[in-house]
Amino acid sequence: MSESLIKVTDLKKHYNKGKIKALDGISVDINRGDVMVIIGPSGSGKSTFLRSLNLMEQPTSGQIIFDGVDITAKKIRNEAGKMVTLDIDKHRQKMGMVFQHFNLFPHMTILQNMTLAPIQVKHMDKAVAEEKAMKLLDRVGLADRAAAYPIQLSGGQKQRVAIVRALMMEPEVMLFDEPTSALDPEMVGEVLDVMRELANEGMTMVVVTHEMGFAKEVGNRVLFMADGLLVEEGTPDDIFNHPQNARLKEFLSKVLI
Amino acid sequence: MFSAQGFQATWKYIDLFKQGLLCTVLLSALTVFFGFILALFLAIMRLSDVRPFRALGIDENGHAIDGGFKAALAKFNPLDFIATVYVEVFRATPMLVQLFIIYYVVFPGIPLPKFKIFGSIPFDRFIPGVVALAMNSGAYLCEIIRAGIQSIDGGQREAARSLGMTGTQTMRHIILPQAIKNILPPIANEFVTIIKESSICYTIGVQEIMYAVAATKGATYRIAEPLIIATLIYFCLTFPTSKIIAYFERKMSKGDKR
Ligand SMILES: Nc1ncnc2c1ncn2[C@@H]1O[C@H](COP(=O)(O)OP(=O)(O)OP(=O)(O)O)[C@@H](O)[C@H]1O
Ligand SMILES: [Mg+2]
Repeated sequence: MSESLIKVTDLKKHYNKGKIKALDGISVDINRGDVMVIIGPSGSGKSTFLRSLNLMEQPTSGQIIFDGVDITAKKIRNEAGKMVTLDIDKHRQKMGMVFQHFNLFPHMTILQNMTLAPIQVKHMDKAVAEEKAMKLLDRVGLADRAAAYPIQLSGGQKQRVAIVRALMMEPEVMLFDEPTSALDPEMVGEVLDVMRELANEGMTMVVVTHEMGFAKEVGNRVLFMADGLLVEEGTPDDIFNHPQNARLKEFLSKVLI
Repeated sequence: MFSAQGFQATWKYIDLFKQGLLCTVLLSALTVFFGFILALFLAIMRLSDVRPFRALGIDENGHAIDGGFKAALAKFNPLDFIATVYVEVFRATPMLVQLFIIYYVVFPGIPLPKFKIFGSIPFDRFIPGVVALAMNSGAYLCEIIRAGIQSIDGGQREAARSLGMTGTQTMRHIILPQAIKNILPPIANEFVTIIKESSICYTIGVQEIMYAVAATKGATYRIAEPLIIATLIYFCLTFPTSKIIAYFERKMSKGDKR
């Protein structure tokens, strides 16, 4: 019953004329409702993969089909059969992204951070956008901070705002790049709670994380990457309890207590 | 070196210094104004994404071509190229050479009315001075603006683009409001630099402060005293300006941070 949302075929990203192979041919199908957790050692290409999915990084070669559209093509055939330039901004609206360092807009209040894109991009009415934002803030327990500026918030609060800011655009998939790595340990839980809730609601999620507990408990698929390659893929049980590849075993022995 | 009589003799020509002061201030203010407008255009050109040969970088399936001459040509931005050449040439050659080329080579071909601004500043010398100074500081101000914009953390741009905002929307709502804080202090500092550098216009007979020094020297045979007065005037112009800038800089840096 699982329907493919993102189909990645032989995705490569090379730097320095091919000397650095950040991604060296990744193929994977991401289905609707998947919570796909990506693990792997530093420099294995996890961030590059995530950033390629919404074309923050232009792939060197390969194909990404998102919602039936090849977004790696610069020109696509529209319904009328004409070749038109692909409007990547349209597709990015449907992919929320959460960053390690939050990337809130420091010159705007929390409410403005959340309503800017819906108002500018979707031409949503300001009052409607603000009401929607307040509802989302309420859900993550931050309604009372709507008028605050990012600098006045703790790391955990900032990341919760970043998540709901992305949700304002009603994305079909949420991409998380180490969302808890920059947080003090006592704040990790509050962010993971929001992500867990999102997963329970059926949101499609791709999560790069070092939180193995989260991967086991919330993820339905785990990908292990090394040297720009997808080395092993499976259910959390496969990956954590029955690892096959030697590099995965070695990686797990280091990260699991 | 100095003497009381020397100062007395010089003081008789103090009106020349007053005129010079007025001229220097006018020269600097107009230079910053026009230099800034020029710099804005140059910075927009440098940061633009105009690529007339863009289509050469796409193959028949619509995929981007990787590497090779065609891909390089597809990346070529003529506006960026022109602005870069302009900036590099003006920053790599002496101000005096630029001034002389403008005054002796370019402007003789352009008829200017012969009258005196405020009865003392010859228009047909003042304008080439403003043009040369503005063209020069435009190159520097362009780099200030560009650096200010590029100093904004790349994550800001990524966050905005990942929300589906276009490049223009990102620039207007996210990058520029933050960059302006980085840009204003160095622009104000450039104003101080221009006040000092405008003295070079003396060489083409613009009657600014250094011209008053030369005129007084010719009439009194004194040089040390007129120079002391000129130094004082320049210092009184630039020092408070720098201090005011530093004050606002401190105030602004207290503002928001990530
Ligand atoms: N702009 C770039 N230019 C050159 N090399 C790059 C660039 N970006 C990434 N790389 C290289 O690509 C490889 C993969 O980087 P990436 O950031 O995707 O790794 P990662 O798995 O996210 O690592 P980490 O766990 O440290 O975040 C690394 O070797 C990195 O040095
Ligand atoms: Mg990373």
